[in-house]
Amino acid sequence: MSSNSLLFSINNEGKVYALSTSGSCWREFMYLGLEFKTLSAVPHFLWAVGGDRQIYLHVHGLEIPIRVKEESYENERWLPLEGFSGRLLPTDRYHFSSQDGTKDRSIECIRLPSMAWQWEGDWQLELALDGQPLDHDGWTYAVDFPAQFGTVKQWKSCVRRRKWIRYRKFSAMNSWCAIAPLHKDPTQEPFIDITIGGNQIPYASPGTLSVWSITAQGRVMYRVGVSTTSPEGLKWINVSIPPNCDIKQISVGPTGLVWALLWSGRAIVRKGINKDCLTGEAWLEVKSPTETKLTTVSVGFNAVWAVSSDSRVWFRKGIEGNAVGHSETAAIGNGWLEINGNMIHISVGINDQVFAIGESNKGVYWRSGITPAELTGKRWRMVQANMQLSRTSSSASIISSASNPKHHSLSLLNENTIELKTNINLRNSWEESHSAPIENTLPLKPSKELRPKKNVNVENIDLTGKSYETTLKNPRAWSPVRSVGSVVGMEAQPDSDSSVFDVDSGMYFDEEVSQMAWGTCDATWTFIEAGACSIDTIQVPHWFSDSKNAHNSDITAKWRSQILDCLKSRNSFNIDLSNFGLAIEEKGWTRSCEARLVSDNNICEDSILSLYWHAVENAGTLSVFQPDGTIKFILNLGEITSITSSSEPGCPRITLTIPNQSQRIIKVQFISEMEQEEWFSVLIDISSQINGLSGKPSTNSIWIVTSYGDVLNWDPTPAQCNMDKNGKYVKEFQVFGKDIVTGFTTTLHNNFLPGSVLKLSGCLFDEINRFHINLQGPEVLKQRHKIETEVTEIPLHFNVRFDESTVVCNTKKSGCWDYEERHPLPLRPGQEFSIKIICDYNEFIININDSKFCSYKHRLSPESITSALIWGPVKLYTMEYYSTSAIIGPDEMIWRTMGGYLRKVESCQNGVVWGICHDHRVWVYTGGWGGGILKGIGGSDGIHPMTDTQTYCIYENQRWNPLSGYTSTGLPTDRYMWSDVTGKHKRTREHTKLLSRHWHWISEWMVDYNTPGGVDNEGWQYATDFPAPYHGKKVFTDCVRRRRWYRKAQIVTEGPWIRAGSTALLDISLWANDKTVSVWAITLAGEAIYRTGVTATTPVGLHWEHVNSPHTFVSISICNSVIWAVGRKGELYYREGVSTENPGGINWKLIESPKCAFTFNPKAATGTKLVSLTNSAAWVVLMNGVIAVRTDVSIHQLEGKQWKYLTDCELPFKHVSCMDQEVWAVQNDGTLHRRVGVTAHNAVGIAWQLVHCGPLVHVSARGCNA
Amino acid sequence: MANDREVLREIWDGKLPICFQLAQEEIMEIQQPDPFYVMVPRLSYFPLVTDKMKRHFLRYISQENADNEMWLDYNGQPLKWHYPIGFLYDLFCGNDPQLPWTLTVHFTKFPETILLRCPNKDVVEAHYMSTVKEADVLKHRGQVMSTMQKKDHNQLWLGLQNDKFDQFWAINRRLMESHGDNEGFKHIPMRIYSDDGITCQRLICPKNNDGSRKTVHQLLSELYPDKAEVNLRTHGVLIPLDTPLQWLSEHMSYPDNFLHICLC
Repeated sequence: MSSNSLLFSINNEGKVYALSTSGSCWREFMYLGLEFKTLSAVPHFLWAVGGDRQIYLHVHGLEIPIRVKEESYENERWLPLEGFSGRLLPTDRYHFSSQDGTKDRSIECIRLPSMAWQWEGDWQLELALDGQPLDHDGWTYAVDFPAQFGTVKQWKSCVRRRKWIRYRKFSAMNSWCAIAPLHKDPTQEPFIDITIGGNQIPYASPGTLSVWSITAQGRVMYRVGVSTTSPEGLKWINVSIPPNCDIKQISVGPTGLVWALLWSGRAIVRKGINKDCLTGEAWLEVKSPTETKLTTVSVGFNAVWAVSSDSRVWFRKGIEGNAVGHSETAAIGNGWLEINGNMIHISVGINDQVFAIGESNKGVYWRSGITPAELTGKRWRMVQANMQLSRTSSSASIISSASNPKHHSLSLLNENTIELKTNINLRNSWEESHSAPIENTLPLKPSKELRPKKNVNVENIDLTGKSYETTLKNPRAWSPVRSVGSVVGMEAQPDSDSSVFDVDSGMYFDEEVSQMAWGTCDATWTFIEAGACSIDTIQVPHWFSDSKNAHNSDITAKWRSQILDCLKSRNSFNIDLSNFGLAIEEKGWTRSCEARLVSDNNICEDSILSLYWHAVENAGTLSVFQPDGTIKFILNLGEITSITSSSEPGCPRITLTIPNQSQRIIKVQFISEMEQEEWFSVLIDISSQINGLSGKPSTNSIWIVTSYGDVLNWDPTPAQCNMDKNGKYVKEFQVFGKDIVTGFTTTLHNNFLPGSVLKLSGCLFDEINRFHINLQGPEVLKQRHKIETEVTEIPLHFNVRFDESTVVCNTKKSGCWDYEERHPLPLRPGQEFSIKIICDYNEFIININDSKFCSYKHRLSPESITSALIWGPVKLYTMEYYSTSAIIGPDEMIWRTMGGYLRKVESCQNGVVWGICHDHRVWVYTGGWGGGILKGIGGSDGIHPMTDTQTYCIYENQRWNPLSGYTSTGLPTDRYMWSDVTGKHKRTREHTKLLSRHWHWISEWMVDYNTPGGVDNEGWQYATDFPAPYHGKKVFTDCVRRRRWYRKAQIVTEGPWIRAGSTALLDISLWANDKTVSVWAITLAGEAIYRTGVTATTPVGLHWEHVNSPHTFVSISICNSVIWAVGRKGELYYREGVSTENPGGINWKLIESPKCAFTFNPKAATGTKLVSLTNSAAWVVLMNGVIAVRTDVSIHQLEGKQWKYLTDCELPFKHVSCMDQEVWAVQNDGTLHRRVGVTAHNAVGIAWQLVHCGPLVHVSARGCNA
Repeated sequence: MANDREVLREIWDGKLPICFQLAQEEIMEIQQPDPFYVMVPRLSYFPLVTDKMKRHFLRYISQENADNEMWLDYNGQPLKWHYPIGFLYDLFCGNDPQLPWTLTVHFTKFPETILLRCPNKDVVEAHYMSTVKEADVLKHRGQVMSTMQKKDHNQLWLGLQNDKFDQFWAINRRLMESHGDNEGFKHIPMRIYSDDGITCQRLICPKNNDGSRKTVHQLLSELYPDKAEVNLRTHGVLIPLDTPLQWLSEHMSYPDNFLHICLC
């Protein structure tokens, strides 16, 4: 579902108009001297029959160009005398061939399909094979042709080949492009109707489209090869029709179903159209409604609508979109149903929404109330959008001829408005469906602003037009015969025309209204096309005067401001109110419910939750009781650091993180989803109030995404305020009453850099032999006879020995003690004491009881200190830790749930935040907070509706047995016959449940014909045994098979996010430089793109620019004009030549791959999975979960210097994000870690510190700044 | 939809300074009791805000009357507790504001013929909920209230009782939505009181016959075709005559979902 889609129409003058679902004005297509007869559209592709009865195609709204990669393999064989040469054996493949060698792909013969295409650059060689760089000629070698090609030439290499690639681009975007006529003489067989559809043919490969047309001779033509990457298709083929059938109109639905109408008013249906046979098998006749002739028919997914010659509207019952391919009854339905209203034309759009043109006033109507359950809808509502004053319309020509255009046009418009009103007031049989007359006021603007000339897009014209030498200067003189695929009207004003398709215009639409002259001209429509129009039935566009307009005018109405002023003045009493008490005192409130506590091993315990909250005191508690009323525990709400939803189907749950409690995590299961949502919202509200969090977080926040799609944010700014007056930050540890005798360790979150101080006070026991203080590094795993952890680095060991009457200072390096420094004993048993350890640049200074006791030269860098251990028979009163930067431990990081449902969030240093959801659509953070189930929490500013789609997959497994062939009876040891991908978990179609009530299914269970590895006709994949590679072709040895079923579900929610562009993205990376933000992204197809015009104030930016690349990517990162990308096969590239003048750079260069000997799973591939860049290093996650760091990456050394590997952690990672010295990573188990000890000298840091238990999928620390 | 939060909030925050004085004949002590000053939300009801005041005066009255039901009067006119406080003020002092509003407190001689008995707050709640239901019947044929759960009803009442705007409007919002395709309520719950004590409650449609929104002016000319100068006051504000009734009902109804309007 796109946030912005278009409804097309033709008026009685043959002019084409478009109405955006996010706008409220009809915009005219630029008039090029060509009227149009009919239109047909699917999103981004509009086909039309022109006034010259020829077919035109209009591709629009795509943010990145359609690009097709042409490949050709150059093959050579080694001959004894000549060496390698292009002369091949007669049995060999062609010199230039396709990859499998079966087709001749001579480079000279690969031509552009039509003039609408242009080459991007010349043929070039691919210089990498599976991420391995090849020499400059790009040859790969093999023993013989159908063999594995390798990078190295060997003595037995008899053949070699290399791959040439070249991209072609469809350049006729946003303009009409002529399709070749059937005959040389275009007048010989003109067209009368055209229709496009087929974008949702069940099981068909994505991008399939089907186009049908009718010629003046009554022939039905089908366009072969039309798809989203080949918008024009290849050629027309004739589809025979039954004798005595004279077809006048045709319509193809999204499922490929074709209905056609005969001149006699009868209808015929094409049966058997499915993914394997897009043209179908045969025509079937359908009975017309009695005593009437059908004049227009339109096919939807589960619906067919028609209009008859007496203007009656008919709905065909019983159409089943998913079954039309193999069921006749599903294709022809089972009866006509008359719908009230009189219409002359009708069109079915996305989700079976219906638009029609009224008979009486020729206005556009929308059928409201159409849902999958009620396809006939409820009533007709008139679309009352303003009109853009036509540049060419005869009714508006008075404007240009008159001396005072503004004045005249106004009077003209006013007249028209009145006319329209009278039209509406005319009652007819279905008067109810009329809406109230519009009360719009025409914006008065100086005439010079009437038609703003934008010079911004001038470059665009050049870009698209330059290779078209044959494009005629005068569009009127253009003829389709001269040039197939030529572009109409490149010379005119594509800028103003493309504004029809301005993708993001919705966001700032109001400004446009004020810039242009819009009027409520009397529009007489003759044709409507809704095939590309996706209406959100919950939030209908602002097209209907009775809903949104009315409210908008209320806000500015005079009576409202009068009332508001009076209300405001009520409370200014001119009496002294100091002795007036409040009637209602602020009280705390309590809320309780029955719930279950879920323990780690999924055991539930009944309990009663009780929440107490006092707003004035800003304090609250959460008490958990047992069912008999005894207290289990009580939490202070201020201790909760994060609240996330963790529901499973049928089990609505919330997870609370309380790092200071021994449990750390509390999982609560509620009785109902409603209750879970209420508690979720209330807890987040209270927790944010306690911690003073609201609105937009500061720019240097960390963003994380949980595996449940929640977006959380930690804002370090509030915690940074605890600075004392010396510019030092202090943290007091709670040590009173802690057991020191057996050792007490506490983390020093900022390490112990020079300037840090540790202050202790306490009392020695009477019986005391020794006590010591260690300032130590992280624990590391040691494998001896059993696995244990040990601290190997102790930069300062301060040991007070009463038995030896001495004080020993020492250092432990790599597990071995160094030489000791001894000092006399300053303390007596039983004495109260204070110790202060100050870290200086060269030494530790140790003060005992406020006087200097000794100093100790650094033997190890104090940066490596991560914790302090106090051990011995002492009692501690206080322990304070001073640091030069803010001390924020994980227990003080309050993670606020921001709202929305996403998969990835990327931030940058000036507060621009982008997100990607599971279906790869892109969102930009609006600065708001809340929405969805957090309704009302942070106000409604910036809260927009959001949707996301996820696909559920299950596998059907079968085993072959000699008697009955493949059956669903497996061996006892086999996996479940219905399982997940691993086979370990049982999954069935019937028992697959949705996560919450905000999810709903948007498809049925379907067999996936696009499973990786290939499938046969029924979707099966074969293998010799279960955990084995699967292939699509059955062979003799195959004993098992499986197929994948999938079903799509959609979530409908809200959040502080707004759609940015319509391009689906895999990955995105942001980097802020003052005000401007560089945004680079990877599209779903693996292409690199960057966004122009992104600044802190315009976070959405303008449009995507495409970056040429011969490689396909999966991940990208940018920092300070350094750009690294990860290729699909795990190879790493950097972009050369990126500068402010040339933001796209010049070309991609391969980087030496990290080779890590230390692996968790030696079998796993070692390619790179993702990359994150800082100013000085690149952090990459390899496919086996190891993190590698490339040092010294800078603008001068784009590829960095050397690889270093982090080997201190046993567990694999799935994500890493870094900026400056902050490095945050998510482990495979979903826990969030922060790297401590990363400094300019030590790029890889010292240790990981657990920050959040997750489960998380993504983290972005890209907003951090030092 | 009642989505003009600014207006809603302003109405919710409306307060009245009130000075309670014990009726002279009730005073049994030699020492005169101090008047009791309090800021009272306009939208509330007297039994919800007078607990403290009652405790303040109990010391001064005869102990045998202490268990009697308390009642209030203004200038000798008993105040009906089942009307919102702001409305009572508009009714009695709308034309000549008098602040603080001085009310007399009685513990004896309960005017049985004029006032309803109110032994406790549950009675207020019952009365309040029944009024909300009545309003919903007029607006949506009672569909919204009947689909609400008991705890929603509770939240509505507690929101009002504890002066919690968000708590109240989280539920009340649903009562202020228009249902079905037609924008607007079926009828507007509205009571118009003239100073002669006559209450007027009619079936009032928010739309004119031609489908346009009915304004206050149009309503007045229907109800009082012969009166020339009519003004309506609610929440201490004179309503502009071109205000649409639908908007008025959504935004300026009292918490009981009725528009209580004084004719002046």
